[in-house]
Amino acid sequence: MDHLSKKYLRPRKIPSSACSGCGLGINHKALMQAIYELGLEVEDIVWGTSIGCAGRQTFGTWKGDGFAGTHGRVYAIARGLRLALPPEKKIILTVGDGDAFGIGLLHLIHAARSNADLTIVVNDNLGYMSTGGQYGWTTPQGTKSDSSPYGMYEHNMVSDGMDILGVLKHAGATFLARHVSMDGPRAVESIKKGIANRGLSLIHIVYPCPTNVGSRELGTRDAVTIYNWIKNQAAPIGQERSDTLWATGVYHDASNSRPEFSESIRQHIGSIRRQRLHENKI
Amino acid sequence: MKRYLETGNFAVTEGAILAGCRFFAGYPITPATELAEAMAYRMPQVDGIYIQGEDECAALHLCIGAALGGYKVMTATSGPGYILYADPYGWAIGCEIPLVILNSGRVGPVSGITGAPGQGEFYMTRYPTQGGNFETIVLAPNSAQEAMAMTVEAFYLAERFRTPVTILADQLVTDGFEDISVPETEEEMKAMGFRTWPRGIHRGPVFYPATDEIDIPPVVLGHNTGALCSDWTPTEEGYDTEEVVAHHKHAYRLIFKVRNHRDLFSHLYEKTFMDDDPDLVVVSFGTPSRVVNTAVKKAREKGLKVGALRLIHLWPFPDELFKKKTTYLSVELNWDGQLVREVRRAVPKDAEVHFVGSCGDLPAVAELLEAFGKLLKGQPLARKGWELEEW
Repeated sequence: MDHLSKKYLRPRKIPSSACSGCGLGINHKALMQAIYELGLEVEDIVWGTSIGCAGRQTFGTWKGDGFAGTHGRVYAIARGLRLALPPEKKIILTVGDGDAFGIGLLHLIHAARSNADLTIVVNDNLGYMSTGGQYGWTTPQGTKSDSSPYGMYEHNMVSDGMDILGVLKHAGATFLARHVSMDGPRAVESIKKGIANRGLSLIHIVYPCPTNVGSRELGTRDAVTIYNWIKNQAAPIGQERSDTLWATGVYHDASNSRPEFSESIRQHIGSIRRQRLHENKI
Repeated sequence: MKRYLETGNFAVTEGAILAGCRFFAGYPITPATELAEAMAYRMPQVDGIYIQGEDECAALHLCIGAALGGYKVMTATSGPGYILYADPYGWAIGCEIPLVILNSGRVGPVSGITGAPGQGEFYMTRYPTQGGNFETIVLAPNSAQEAMAMTVEAFYLAERFRTPVTILADQLVTDGFEDISVPETEEEMKAMGFRTWPRGIHRGPVFYPATDEIDIPPVVLGHNTGALCSDWTPTEEGYDTEEVVAHHKHAYRLIFKVRNHRDLFSHLYEKTFMDDDPDLVVVSFGTPSRVVNTAVKKAREKGLKVGALRLIHLWPFPDELFKKKTTYLSVELNWDGQLVREVRRAVPKDAEVHFVGSCGDLPAVAELLEAFGKLLKGQPLARKGWELEEW
């Protein structure tokens, strides 16, 4: 175990039960590095996770308090918790693409609307992989999976001209970034900005799944093959090529530009109570 | 003590505040909307939070989040919203999160008739989520005043049992205007029989002991106790596991923590003319029980030996009240007969059990009296097509 694991993670859960060659650990480590560089301690953060590979593999890894919500609803739970916790407590959620962009999209949009102070790291393995590999809402068109044996033919969130981050931007999210696992320090910097924003931050990180995506789409479970497949289709924003699927970097940064959810509610209640005090009703 | 001419929704709001509820997440739905409105008005006055969810599923999840942060929480809905609770309800049962839900029954299935009373969720409150392996606690008031009392009681039971409690009301209980007395001091609350239980914080490390123990404070996050809760089967420390033995221990806890402490709510029923072993026992809950009580009183005036048994705690089902071998009649606000099935299961083998249903409207006293008379003479309550041929 490295110093980050020793400081922040539970030995019982690390290493996780992820498949050989899974890229989730790289995302997890980037997140730990960001937390470390911000000088945050175990007691500063409450950790939430969802269902699926990303949720289950990261649940209970954080040394501090943690929860795993029902599939797609973790954003609503986290908003309720946000109202109950003191503002200085950070809430970090590690979730999957199906959870955030499929079953939980309604709740995610409302979390963005309310600008709740949550940092959401969407670990995107390009579909539903813990159930054996079915296509999801970020599976590139044409990709073969167990539920798209002839190639995924639907429009989805990475089709030309469509972007889930655009949806979330217009829903009111105040920090949005996209990366792939191989982005290393660039991803760490984005996560740091996300955690520092007092509002809704979402960092979308695509990671390789050799077991399902590799075997069905690329015909091999060799980890290096799918790492290269993802890396070659990613490029920093502004340096995209014609075959770039994932433009990486900060997509939208309006950090601390509008009132945070729990803060506004507290202020609202405070003003009602002051008014009543003024009218001698309390 | 302050008296009001107000609705059941008002009474529930005041009851929740008396019980210490300071977080309400709602979603507009007839006939529970006025409860959300009353909460939106009252919560900020008592330093509480009212919030509207994007749907009922989100509303209950918001409640769960706030409960995990230490709040006493509540939400309210009607049948079409209650089904959307299936997801969070199970999570709250599994993670043993105390919270209170009010379901104001209307006419179903689906949206049905929005502004009329129904009792179609008798079984649904027993199995509000999938998976089984749990007991639920359900209370059913029949008046605005009792709705307030049962709200206070629901919070008390939710805390002690560390589980969600449903108050199954109906449109007439929540919408009806009645004379309501709201206690203003702790002494007045005690005098009215209101019990409260404080919110505790569990400091771990064993959050899910394989015992039927109650009075264990619930998991509260944010105190850096290393608390863990999830939707998966937990180990005793809260880690997710696929072990069937761990699951067996957890299921034992979820079932028997309730079954083994039923004495805490087994007094919640009402008996009318039941002291002389009546030849006919009329069973009901909620608003129909008020018609039943009137009908039974009139029957007694006519010399018919009829008694009424009203259930206030519906689940776990009070089997012990059905030991007598006599004739039973279940009066319910649905046409399919739900309570009657449970009565049939609970009564002695050769006891007769009958059913009179209605939905959207209460049965008339005269109709019930006719039914009593027939049953006591051993005549059938026949039915032809959708119309009752005779009672």
